[in-house]
Amino acid sequence: MALLDRTARGLFLTELVKGMALTFSYMFRPRATINYPYERGPISPRFRGEHALRRYPNGEERCIACKLCEAVCPALAITIEAEPREDGSRRTTRYDIDMTKCIYCGLCQEACPVDAIVEGPNLEFATETREELFYNKEKLLSNGDRWEAQLASNIAADAPYR
Amino acid sequence: MGEYLTSLWGDLPVVVRIVAAILAIVVPLLVGMAMLTYMERKVLGAMQLRQGPALVGPFGLLQPFADGLKLLAKETIIPSGANRMVFLAAPMLTFLLALVAWAVIPFGEGLVLANINVGVLYLFAISSLGVYGIIMAGWASNSKYSFLGGLRSAAQMVSYEVSIGLVIITVLLCVGSLNLSKIVEAQRTVWFCIPLFPMFVVFFVSALAETNRAPFDLPEGESELSGGFFVEYSSMSFAMFFLGEYINMILMSALTSVLFLGGWLPPLDIAPFNWLPGPIWFILKIVLVLFFFIWVRATLPRYRYDQLMRLGWKVFLPFSLIWVVLTAGVLVYFDLLPTT
Amino acid sequence: MPKLTIDGIEIEVAPGTSVLQACEQLGIEVPRFCYHERLSVPANCRMCLVEIERSPKPVASCAMPAGEGMVVKTNTETVHKARKGVMEFLLVNHPLDCPICDQGGECDLQDQAVSYGYDRGRFAENKRAVKDKDMGPLIKTFMTRCIHCTRCIRFMDEIAGVSALGGLNRGEHLEITPALEAGIASELSGNLVDVCPVGALTSKPYSFTARPWELRKTETIDVLDAVGSNIRVDTRGPEVMRVQPRLHEDINEEWISDKTRYSHDGLKRQRLDRPYVRGADGKLKPASWAEAFAVIAQRLSGVAGTRMAALAGDLADVESTLALKQLMQALGSPNLECRQDGARFDVSARAGYVFNSTIAGIEQADAVLIIGANPRWDAPLVNARIRKRYLTGGLKHVGVLGQNFDLTYPTTYLGEGGAELAALAAGTHPFLEVLKAAKNPLIILGMGALRRPDGAAVQAAVRTLAEAVGAIREDWNGFNLLHTAAGRVGALDVGFVPQAGGRDLAGILAGCQSGEIEVVYLLGADEIPGDKFGKAFVIYQGHHGDRGAHRADVILPGAAYTEKNATYVNTEGRVQQARMAVFPLGEAREDWKILRALSAELGKTLPYDTLSQLRQHLVSVNPVFGQIDTIVPAPWVAFGTAGEIGGGHFISPIENFYMTDPISRASVTMAKCTEAFLKPAVPAAAE
Repeated sequence: MALLDRTARGLFLTELVKGMALTFSYMFRPRATINYPYERGPISPRFRGEHALRRYPNGEERCIACKLCEAVCPALAITIEAEPREDGSRRTTRYDIDMTKCIYCGLCQEACPVDAIVEGPNLEFATETREELFYNKEKLLSNGDRWEAQLASNIAADAPYR
Repeated sequence: MGEYLTSLWGDLPVVVRIVAAILAIVVPLLVGMAMLTYMERKVLGAMQLRQGPALVGPFGLLQPFADGLKLLAKETIIPSGANRMVFLAAPMLTFLLALVAWAVIPFGEGLVLANINVGVLYLFAISSLGVYGIIMAGWASNSKYSFLGGLRSAAQMVSYEVSIGLVIITVLLCVGSLNLSKIVEAQRTVWFCIPLFPMFVVFFVSALAETNRAPFDLPEGESELSGGFFVEYSSMSFAMFFLGEYINMILMSALTSVLFLGGWLPPLDIAPFNWLPGPIWFILKIVLVLFFFIWVRATLPRYRYDQLMRLGWKVFLPFSLIWVVLTAGVLVYFDLLPTT
Repeated sequence: MPKLTIDGIEIEVAPGTSVLQACEQLGIEVPRFCYHERLSVPANCRMCLVEIERSPKPVASCAMPAGEGMVVKTNTETVHKARKGVMEFLLVNHPLDCPICDQGGECDLQDQAVSYGYDRGRFAENKRAVKDKDMGPLIKTFMTRCIHCTRCIRFMDEIAGVSALGGLNRGEHLEITPALEAGIASELSGNLVDVCPVGALTSKPYSFTARPWELRKTETIDVLDAVGSNIRVDTRGPEVMRVQPRLHEDINEEWISDKTRYSHDGLKRQRLDRPYVRGADGKLKPASWAEAFAVIAQRLSGVAGTRMAALAGDLADVESTLALKQLMQALGSPNLECRQDGARFDVSARAGYVFNSTIAGIEQADAVLIIGANPRWDAPLVNARIRKRYLTGGLKHVGVLGQNFDLTYPTTYLGEGGAELAALAAGTHPFLEVLKAAKNPLIILGMGALRRPDGAAVQAAVRTLAEAVGAIREDWNGFNLLHTAAGRVGALDVGFVPQAGGRDLAGILAGCQSGEIEVVYLLGADEIPGDKFGKAFVIYQGHHGDRGAHRADVILPGAAYTEKNATYVNTEGRVQQARMAVFPLGEAREDWKILRALSAELGKTLPYDTLSQLRQHLVSVNPVFGQIDTIVPAPWVAFGTAGEIGGGHFISPIENFYMTDPISRASVTMAKCTEAFLKPAVPAAAE
């Protein structure tokens, strides 16, 4: 009986038909993917994307050249040089991040005592040449200016858990 | 106006007329092939809960043309160990044969380039020749993957052609002619897919194997042969294989509709079905069969090579033989043999 | 010998040892801020509290002398609680600005807060803020960070001997203030940065530039004076970021002079980084090594050895001096000289040109006679030793011949020089009795007395004097030469002096003017004005574009002291090795290698290819070079040339303490110091 059963199933291709029906039904299910550049998934406030150097609301850069990020960076991607500015305050003369070395671990922003270096929500910073990924202070500050609103809200959102 | 055009057509030299007729077939065919790749990607995407191409043109419709342009712009690489002549001839042959077969396909009543009496034989011969392109490519590339792919392909096509032949014989028994237009005409009362349903299934499965489509795409098996016989091909030579293969798919779909789905005939000869002209019905049927091709690809995993051979020789061959005998017996016993 | 128990371990210590020192002998760490081994004990930070049995409350261990039968506990709950309390009070007013503080990473308070600090503050009021003070161009102040340990006040009072710092007000309102709000005019002021346990006093030139963890530390030797202070050169990449002292009890203890500490920025300026050749138009043009050597070889061919001369500079290392000497000898030239200041004295006996008593030996002296030297400028650390001896009370009399300087301890000014020395040597001067009465009389003979035509006679007179007052005994040698140049004793040890029939400095310069000397090789010799060389062809090998390079016809770029592995001999005759901290700049090379390459070019190839071969050779030339960092007592033999001592002033060769050599002359910091500390006093020093 079992043999007959199996032969009938084989002859009438029931399993095949079942499989085909399944794939066909999938055509009408909602898509799992999104139309990426035009639609985006949600991003956590803790997302670790492109780096930015922030400023205070009065335009003063936050970074005080303490070099803790440089010290903590496991990939040795950060290079800082500092000297006293004309007003005697401690500022960087050079703040470079080699984005090709960076592993986006976020230790730099954890180490930063003044929330100056942060990893922002931006993940679209691919470049055509390698050199463009060697970020300097100017680039990082301009990132900070561009993303400031979102960076500030992200830090505020994450503040209760710190 | 219509008469004027007809007379103008008649006044043209015969060569011009032939070339125009060929172009009238080939150009829509190439566009259709492009749309097929688009459809394949869209349908596969839908079945895998993905988007599919969506960026180039509205709904990604221009994606195939972008791909074509890309291939056109790429560099043709000829492996240093390859046999240049054969290597270059192989894709041309494949492409050429895929186009040539279309000469006998009837798109509507009287709408056929060459309405020959041995249309089926012609098609059979041409599609058998298709294997040469693949073998040549596999051999001329001088690469083990290509060679294995070529060998598999040859063995596979030979195996399944046997059952295809037998399936066609059953159809011919019911029609009594090798002329494709006549085969279509013979289905006015009932499409052969109904009385000959098992043969229809066998034919469809064999068509999958004949066109190297999933689940019988062993010759190109990406995961095992990294592309099979056209591993070494690039740029336009690759594109020609690609074109040839997809045109073959359309050809096999056309053949399926001609043999089993009533060609250009509407499902029922009543309004509103017969408002649509015959060629439109024919195209709709081709699209339906092509959808099946893609659907199968989305559903079934690739066969193992020995399973493929077993299916061809141990299942389809005896099964279709029995059906030939059965059909002939029924026809003779009930005296239903066509008399033409 | 009191015996006490600390944390259950018994120990016997010398009488007068404090409990804290006893703990240290056992290797038990006791936190402290105000206590410093070399300073007096004020016991005002209270961080070193320990528990002593039968004492009602915790005791400051730094000020508690170890007593017989004491039972000390350093690791109890009470001790921890007490120290935590002290730390919390310290942090009440200490700002939490470690990220912008230069002390961050090497801060006593930071380190100890890790062990004894709470992780949150309970102090909700406003913190104290203190106005910063101006302490001159070397020390940057941030007085809000001050924790009132008073180490700096004690350092200035006790070690530097300049009462420049003091405390105003009391309690929380205590402020450390430089007297009269003026800068700190001391040659040792840089040590305040090391002494300060927090970031209140930091190094101004170093400010904000680097963090301790970024720096590569190289232990080496200082060459900016003849003391040979042990230093640690901190580098980042190719740059020397700072110079720190290294402990050497017999030389510099743990102090270094400001010149040693701060002149390293001169290593970045006016450097020679490629060979130059003076062209037909009289301008120096960059050249390759091969071109420079070719020009030298062409000029030297056919010139007799006696028409050549070589001068070794003040910063020249022993290896290159020996290489130059042997090269000149191979060329047949006897005209060698290493005493650019024109000092003339007998160099036949080593005892005649080193500091025989040793620097540590000063602590045994009970009468000192300083002749023609200003130890405060010539060798600040020697001066600090004399002051240390003075503070312990053993040093009763210090006589000074020459210029009358403020040496930070009371001195008796005996006169201008020549006449008084003659009187002393003849036994007719009253100070002779003081020296004779002393157990260990010490005579320091400076370059001011020797760089005169009668230098050898002065040397002989002082030798007679030393013998006469009993300064030369089996266990004591009170005859000392105080050199000012780090390369001098080494050059004398390899015999870089006029050979038989050779000319001395005056002879060489006269020869240049008259045309009898055609070629002069300057090995970092920068103290002689260029016009003195007349029309001679001058080859300059050195690292700075100073006077020598200005006059040179061919410049061969050498390495500065931080850029080579080299041997130096300090004024005591102590052989020490400096290490390479960074690579020589550009195309510059280590000096001995340049000479070795040039010798091959001239066809007189020197017999060594590696530094170790050269050093073996060095030992065979003079066995003292085999004894690294040890004093080999020089046998006392007759030296000097008795003769008439002219009258006149013994004038120290150092006009400006902050600018004595090519490196410090190129230093911006040293220029600022000159401006700040010496401008009013020495208007001519800035040139």
